[in-house]
Amino acid sequence: MTTDRATLDIPAAVLALLFPGAGQMFRGNLYRGVMASMGVLGLFLGGLLIGGIDVVDSKEDRIWFYGEALVGPLAFGVDALHQNRFKAWAQVPAVTGRPGWDTRSGYPNETRTWNDERARYEWVAAANPAATDAPPNKKSIAKMNELGTLFATIAGMLNFIIILDALLPSKRGRDLTKDVSTTAGIAAATVAATAAAELSV
Amino acid sequence: MSTLAYTPFIDPIAAHEYWFALLIPLAFFIAVGYKAVRTVDMRTYWRQVLTFTIQIVGGIILLGIGAYVLIAFAIPSLAPMPGS
Repeated sequence: MTTDRATLDIPAAVLALLFPGAGQMFRGNLYRGVMASMGVLGLFLGGLLIGGIDVVDSKEDRIWFYGEALVGPLAFGVDALHQNRFKAWAQVPAVTGRPGWDTRSGYPNETRTWNDERARYEWVAAANPAATDAPPNKKSIAKMNELGTLFATIAGMLNFIIILDALLPSKRGRDLTKDVSTTAGIAAATVAATAAAELSV
Repeated sequence: MSTLAYTPFIDPIAAHEYWFALLIPLAFFIAVGYKAVRTVDMRTYWRQVLTFTIQIVGGIILLGIGAYVLIAFAIPSLAPMPGS
């Protein structure tokens, strides 16, 4: 009788965390890894294409970012770019309950100015923002923001499945076949599986 | 920096009128990623991706039809609004 206990493939999981599909590639499943990567990156970049960089925002959409973070360093990099290059400091209104200073995106009629007292950029209303330092991106709203965020978050959730697949060796006999696409390869894998089954009796 | 020009991946696209069409690439990329780790025989990969894409899109269309029937017909017949 054979044991069905899975052994954890830590290096593959770490690589999968760093880049979508890298764990599968590391384990020899190049085609699977490329396709997994294409699925995750297609969703994540598709989300950015639909909703703009505004869909990855660890401050203003924190709950959604928890899902997006599962894409890996790419998500953190996009978020860092968004926070540092596309936002500016502004005073939070008292009505929000937590008055103070925080970064936020600019509205179309605002411009970034240098505040000497705080040594921070801040958004102020401007008569002609196009002539000065207007917001570098359009804040996505409504359906485009919702769908873009959904794309990027599902990318993270999908990558979580792919990371688990890299961490846990398959019980589907998949590793016997690797990426073999020839009939001979499949036949050899079938013979091996049959032999293993007979040995387990 | 002006915001007049559209910059891909930075600014949102203007697809508010046909947002529902974006369901298709959503379902397709989910299928591509999911089937990459679930397909046993990779020779059938793209066929399974296509099947799964159609299943997701079809399922959501059915859910939409169901929600429409519920809101437009079932609920008004069960609890008619005054004056209707």
